[in-house]
Amino acid sequence: MADYNNRGEFLLEALNVRVVGQGQSIIVFSHGFGSDQSVWSRVIPSFTRAYRVISFDLMCSGSCDPTNYDFQRYATLDGYVDDLLSFLDALEIDRCAFVGHSVSAMIGLLAAIHRPNLFSRLILIGGSPRFTNDGNYIGGIDPAHMEEVFRRMESNYESWVAGFVPMALGADVPDMALQEFSRTLFSMRPDIALHVARTAFAADLRHVLGLIRVPVCIIQSSVDLSVPPAVAEYMRRHLGGPTVLEFLPTHGHLPHVSSPAPVANAIQQLLRRRF
Amino acid sequence: MAATTVSKVPNFHDMLPDAIMSNIFSLVTDTRTRNAMSLVCLKWCKLERSTRKSLALRGNIRDLNQVPVCFQAINNLDLSCLSPWGHPLLESSSNPSLLAKLLSHAFPSVVSLTIYARSPLTLHFLAPEWPKLSHVKLVRWHQRFNAPIGYDFFALFEHCPSLSSIDLSHFYCWTEDLPTAFELYPSIAASLSHLNLLVGHSFTEGYKSHELLSITSACPNLSQLLATCVFDHRFLGFVGDETLLSIASNCPRLSLLHLADSTALSSNSSRADPNKNDEGYASEDARISPTALGDFFESLPLLEELVLDVGNNVRDTWPALELLNSKCPRLKSLKLGQLHGICREIDSSMPAAGVALWKGLESLSIKNSADLTDSALIAISLGCSNLTKFEVQGCNKITKMGMQIFARVLQKTLVDVRISSCKYLNTVCSLQALEPIRDRIQRLHVDCVWESVEQYSQDHEIRGEKEASLKKKAKCCDGSGNGFSSCSDTWTKLKYLSLWIAAGELLNPIRLAGLENCPILEEIQIKVVGDCRNQQKPVFMAEFGLNSLVNYPQLSRMHFDCGDAIGFALTAPRGYADLSLWERFYLNGIENLNLKELNYWPPQDMDVHQRSLSLPAAGLLSQCRSLRKLFIHGTANEHFMSFFLKIPTLRDVQLREDYYPAPENDTTSEMRVDSCYRFQDALNRRHIPD
Repeated sequence: MADYNNRGEFLLEALNVRVVGQGQSIIVFSHGFGSDQSVWSRVIPSFTRAYRVISFDLMCSGSCDPTNYDFQRYATLDGYVDDLLSFLDALEIDRCAFVGHSVSAMIGLLAAIHRPNLFSRLILIGGSPRFTNDGNYIGGIDPAHMEEVFRRMESNYESWVAGFVPMALGADVPDMALQEFSRTLFSMRPDIALHVARTAFAADLRHVLGLIRVPVCIIQSSVDLSVPPAVAEYMRRHLGGPTVLEFLPTHGHLPHVSSPAPVANAIQQLLRRRF
Repeated sequence: MAATTVSKVPNFHDMLPDAIMSNIFSLVTDTRTRNAMSLVCLKWCKLERSTRKSLALRGNIRDLNQVPVCFQAINNLDLSCLSPWGHPLLESSSNPSLLAKLLSHAFPSVVSLTIYARSPLTLHFLAPEWPKLSHVKLVRWHQRFNAPIGYDFFALFEHCPSLSSIDLSHFYCWTEDLPTAFELYPSIAASLSHLNLLVGHSFTEGYKSHELLSITSACPNLSQLLATCVFDHRFLGFVGDETLLSIASNCPRLSLLHLADSTALSSNSSRADPNKNDEGYASEDARISPTALGDFFESLPLLEELVLDVGNNVRDTWPALELLNSKCPRLKSLKLGQLHGICREIDSSMPAAGVALWKGLESLSIKNSADLTDSALIAISLGCSNLTKFEVQGCNKITKMGMQIFARVLQKTLVDVRISSCKYLNTVCSLQALEPIRDRIQRLHVDCVWESVEQYSQDHEIRGEKEASLKKKAKCCDGSGNGFSSCSDTWTKLKYLSLWIAAGELLNPIRLAGLENCPILEEIQIKVVGDCRNQQKPVFMAEFGLNSLVNYPQLSRMHFDCGDAIGFALTAPRGYADLSLWERFYLNGIENLNLKELNYWPPQDMDVHQRSLSLPAAGLLSQCRSLRKLFIHGTANEHFMSFFLKIPTLRDVQLREDYYPAPENDTTSEMRVDSCYRFQDALNRRHIPD
């Protein structure tokens, strides 16, 4: 393993960091768990003429070498935050906009607490401070249903370890909201998938939302069963800096894949907005 | 004396002189046999290496500097499958001309080359190294490189004056590229004898009439021409009478001619062709008249193989076909698409006419001929008495009766039959119709349409009981003369089976339908076509039925093509199944087959242009413990590729995105897999060819 000074350099390769486009301003695109940077492939072309665009794969992504996945380091989201800040440093970037989907929204929020001057704004798609419901808080996902998904992931893990076929899929769970949300959880190696899922669902950023001073733009699908509009409202009320909420007439948890054009337009407008 | 004879063991090496050994080795072509021979001893290894003529290089582009130099006699070199597949071969390295020289030094005698030419630069560096090239096949499924028209070919034409054969059937370029290049290099064009421009529908609409004329007038010595073109007169540059006649007069030496409409190449995707009306006629007629067709045939006396796959109707063609018979005596193979009236009916006073007159014909394929009737079919079987290969597609008037008599008449010669998209020939009928040749047929295609399977299997059981009781009385079981010749449905000589099946249908009924026993079947091709998006979740149907193929004990090679099954990858709306469920459904059971070689096309999500392996697919495929070769025609992420390392005998894996347009962003996942392999398999270190 490379020594710590070179971690940034190591990450540039390990995370498949790509830089395209020309322009003064920089945008970083960060995908949600289970996919990889290819989910942005129909959104990024709208930006390459005017911006420098950076995209990368999270270390848990299926497109990264699984031997680099450190279970200790990524037991909390801090590992991912550290990765992000390290490779941005290695690229010598001191100011950028950040677009994050799902769990990457959490990573962006945490990163903005550590380095508020690095981010001109955060643009969050399908983002949430906590995914599961908790008392009066509506996260969108029923913990009991999530347990069902975890059970399947665990059975996959056991099958995989024993040399059998991991046959369980999120789509087997009767809850329709979870079917879509968990789809990407089953695109990783079973042990990594289970670990990532536990990390993401244990994460609770509700109490630190107030520490974020960076402007936050929330893009919300009008119909997203797993991250409902109530979550966006919650964030708007609790975030410490200026917050903008943008509703899109899109469906589902991955609007940048199912309807890339409205998402790209929304991001364009939010980038130009003055705070 | 006894002592000396005992100690003197006859030694192969001493018995046969080197020259003879060398000749013997040169005659062996099978790669695995050659590999085995080279392991016998050092002398045999050297001899094998120095006599091998054909090599396909596999291995990683990063290691190109370690290319083996012992294969000095290679004439035919395939560089199109280097890993990562489709990667720019030389352009990505720091010293491309050095690499080119290394390749030419390692393979100095190459005259036939297959290469993935991602950009013109590849040939720019390589063509000068092999000036004696006579045959080149270019492969490119990626977007055309942004270069001036014809630029892809300039380096090749400039440096290889002996070029006589070009194959562009897997090469995406514009139709203007080649004619322009020919104009600039007329001597190359004039010496060409083989030209393959049969590109798929997704590439292009095909060559326009003026382009075909330009090409054929530049290449008068062509003896083999294959091209995709457009016959629909509503399009600019359609091929009509004049074009056909001009082609024939430009290239009178043609012995092989394929002209296929660009829509025709994709039409086996669905059983019910939307272009045809109920009668089976296309909506438009082609601008080709039977008289012109006759003149066309007359001007090509050397024709041995002809394919005219017209997308639009040509009617009453039997007079032209009669002329074809008399003017082209060498004709051995014929395929006609959308030609009607190919056979005048048998009449008690008039002899059969049209197609039904060829004794010399060995291979016949009739596609979308709307008025082909049973009696015409029978006439054909009587007239074409040497037919070994027969294909019929989309002919809605023929029935089991006609087909059965056809098979019976030709039972001595027919070994290769394809029946598809014929309304009255579902699976059971097709298989029953082929009963006369059940013990002879070697290659077969049928569509999987399961109506009447239950009825057939009930009858079959009754018949089986009768036969079982008869068997007790009679001694002979497979009586050749009587009607109980097949006590169970045994296809004794069948080696290759091809199936078409609609998305969502099961495979299990195949045994009941009549393909119960195929003792020597070694290769199977399954094509799944359809829209998975609107179908119910395949959750209650646990599996497609690959398990039912366990009954074919020799099955070792499979092509499983779900590439035309369309579904949702990540964006399935609420309540709809996504492709991971479908892959689980389709591949469940594959681990029970003893496959050695598998080509798999994952289902695709057309909206995001994604054909990618899902978790259950990766898991199921990795359970095929006897696999030696695995080729996935799509993408797979690194986590899933790592599943395949569990297969102990796996020697060769590649992700081949051979569909247009191939994804531009190459992942680096595959390069890393190769490094795992080299680490794992010492045998693979010396680029063992395919």
